[in-house]
Amino acid sequence: MISTVSRDAALIVTAAGLIVAAVALARTRRAPLALALLLDFFTAAALLYLAAPPTWPALGAAALTIVIRQLASHALTAARAARHR
Amino acid sequence: MTLAEGFGEHNLEDVVNVLVQVVEAAGALIIFVGAVIAFVRFLLVAFRREGLDPFARLRLDLGRFLVLGLEFQLAADILRTAVAPNFTELAQLATVAAIRTALNFFLGLEIKEETKLVQADKAAAATPATGATAPPATGAASPGTGPKPP
Repeated sequence: MISTVSRDAALIVTAAGLIVAAVALARTRRAPLALALLLDFFTAAALLYLAAPPTWPALGAAALTIVIRQLASHALTAARAARHR
Repeated sequence: MTLAEGFGEHNLEDVVNVLVQVVEAAGALIIFVGAVIAFVRFLLVAFRREGLDPFARLRLDLGRFLVLGLEFQLAADILRTAVAPNFTELAQLATVAAIRTALNFFLGLEIKEETKLVQADKAAAATPATGATAPPATGAASPGTGPKPP
């Protein structure tokens, strides 16, 4: 029961992330910002996906999403911090 | 009669499993609600742009929801260790807990960093505004309405 609901919720959040990233890119023309928003929503989706009883492929996908998100987010934050110096 | 015999190991397992489901569902609900709120707020913000970068604050709020949801999910992981699973389940549980703990830690750091940057953005946005208003104020004060000498 919880696995079906959380996987559906993860799909909805993934779709929301794609919409948000597309709108952000169209409105601001800032690809890094759109990427950051997309990765935030994907992280939320990965966490929802992990709420279901885990399987190894799901764990691998969630771990990979989170590692990519962390790397991209770190790079974006460093770039923003450098602009302030 | 020991407590385990009286209560029954299977009953305990059932109770823990129900608790795990409830806590895990609460965490998932928090994350889902946070994502929905972020989505709605994003659409509102995207179509009426404000001067200060509103997306940074939006990401910050989504991050806070993720951290809160993660705390619940970590609590569920800890509860799950109360019932002894087989080795595969235990390994998966350890992996999930490691992912969640690491993400919780990094999100916490990121929220701190992002809060600093949002405050720096605010300060940067306020500085030119005071610079722009200062010259007309002094200019307007100069022709006769300036402070009188003692």
